[in-house]
This record gives sequence, structure tokens and C-alpha cells, in this order.
Amino acid sequence: MSDEPLQGSIITSQLIASLASRTTLETPGVLRLEPTIQGFLARLGPSLQHLRNPGSQDSTFRHDGVTATISGATARVHLDIATDIAYTALDVAEAVQRRVQESISHTGLTPGAVDVTILAIEHRRGTANM
Amino acid sequence: MAIDDIPRLGCGRSIDRIWATIDRPPTAHEEKCGQCQTARTQLRGLSEATRSLRESDLHNPALKPRPGVKNAIMDVARAEVRQGSRILLRSADTGITEISEQALSSLIRSAAAAIPGVHPRRCRIEIRAAAASLAGEDHPAGTTVMATDAGPRLIVNLRVAAAPGIVIPLAAEALRHEISSAIPAGVGIGAGTVNIIVEDLYDV
Repeated sequence: MSDEPLQGSIITSQLIASLASRTTLETPGVLRLEPTIQGFLARLGPSLQHLRNPGSQDSTFRHDGVTATISGATARVHLDIATDIAYTALDVAEAVQRRVQESISHTGLTPGAVDVTILAIEHRRGTANM
Repeated sequence: MAIDDIPRLGCGRSIDRIWATIDRPPTAHEEKCGQCQTARTQLRGLSEATRSLRESDLHNPALKPRPGVKNAIMDVARAEVRQGSRILLRSADTGITEISEQALSSLIRSAAAAIPGVHPRRCRIEIRAAAASLAGEDHPAGTTVMATDAGPRLIVNLRVAAAPGIVIPLAAEALRHEISSAIPAGVGIGAGTVNIIVEDLYDV
């Protein structure tokens, strides 16, 4: 038996979701990630999640506004976001897609599609009517 | 630009109000309004999940919800309704970008609120893809279609109430201009056609 240690790493969909979430919230023009029922139930407990999505698979992780899926060596992400009305939403979404793909590539996985849904366009809190 | 902090459907109904009355029979308006019906259907699933949670709490004190659960549920309820109908804005190698009709409708209503003497009411958005227009096919609101750069994409139908004494054609033109500027600035797509229907007067 070789004394060489085995080298490897496991990137989980939870890690990808966390990276995507952080990257998205750091992108100028993003106000927040929008919660979803799946993410909310996931917080309450795995068994409750099955109320909404009984066929969920382990390779998919959902948290508020983020769904990350790993298939083979490719990671795909879906984001539900609210954007600042001072920015053009389509430009914000494009920046998010680019940044998230870059973050994913740092994990060694191949970045797949980063789909973005804009669920709200609002004033940043405290800037309305300015 | 003033902005309505209360999340509303395109027909003007508050999402919070629909959530509060989800266990009651639909009102006369909700029976006729497609947007209210969609919202009620979506919120019913959430209502059932929360009811299940409440009943669990009744029988098992260990499952008592943490503080803030109610706010979390309301956040989810609002976001869930916003998820309703979506419009595909762009499809690229990096992924697709969509916008909810609700977000677009709120943007239009906010733009309308900037015009003195005009109160926005019901807002409906129809989508017509360039390819569909060529083929003579209409895509009703609620279906996902590609918004390309060519040809009109959005058909905005906004009903408003006007203050007595204002010059309605001028106000309508100012309103159309405001909406036509707000959509490209806020979303990044052309405003397409903006139809304004002045349906009522209101007392100042």
C-alpha cells in the first residue's frame, strides 16, 4: 500500500449555493436574494421540504433565492433577486452571471448556466423619493 | 419617484390582503381576475404548509416556531407571488435572465405615480415576441417568450384615474413618456406599446 496520501476534494451543492449567494449580494445593484418556499422549508427541516418537493435530489441545494445543482463536474445555479431601481436590472443580472461563473470556476468545477430571475425592482431602503 | 411599498398584483390588489383572506371564499373581483386567481392558487400551497407546521406545534411543543417565523413566511409569500408570470429577457451562454411580470408592473406603477393628477390602477402587460409578431401569433401575459431587440415586445395596458381639472391628453402623454423612460432605464428593454386608459375621475 502506498504511503502517498490521497488527494481530493468534495465540492457540494451547498458550497456552490453559498458562493453564489455571497457573490450575488456583493454585486452592485443587487438588493437581496428573494426567499422561496423550498428554501424556507429547507430551513425548517428536511422532512418539511418534502411537503413541497418530494422528488428533491441530494445534488441540488436550495436556500433563500439560490438553487445550486451539480451534475458531474458542472455546477448550475438559479438565482431569484431584487434589484436597485437606480441600476438597469438586465445589466445587474449580466454582472451577477459573470461573477458567479467566475466564483464557481475557482472551485475547480465547470460553471454551467447561471439563470437569474428578477422578482422585484425597488429603491434601496432609505433612498426612496430622493 | 414615489414608490408603493406594499407589494401589489397588476390589478392593484395587495398580496398581503390576499394572503390574509386565503382561507375565505374569493371575492367577486378575485373570481373574475386571473392574476388574483393565480396568486390565490400559489399562496394556497404555502398556506397548507404553514397550517401543517402550526398543527405540529400544537402536538409537539419542541416544534414551536422560532421568533421571526411569521416575518419569514410573509417574505416567502410576497416573493412566491412575484414568481408568478415571467418574461424572458435574454438567453445567453452564461444563462437566461427573466423578470417577473409583477416586478415590471410595480415599476410601471411607480413611474405613473410620478405624474401629478394621475392615479395608476390596473396594469396588464402582454408580451409579443418579434418572431411571434411575424407569424401573427400573440403570446398572452403569463407565457415566457424571448424579448429580442427587434420590434415591439411589451404591450402595457395601464388604467388610471385622473384628477378633475387636469388636461387629460397632456397628462396621458406625460405618463406614457415616463413609463417609456422607466422601463429601459430600470429593466434594460424597450417599453414597446404603452396604452393608457383613463377610466375614472377622483376627488383631490
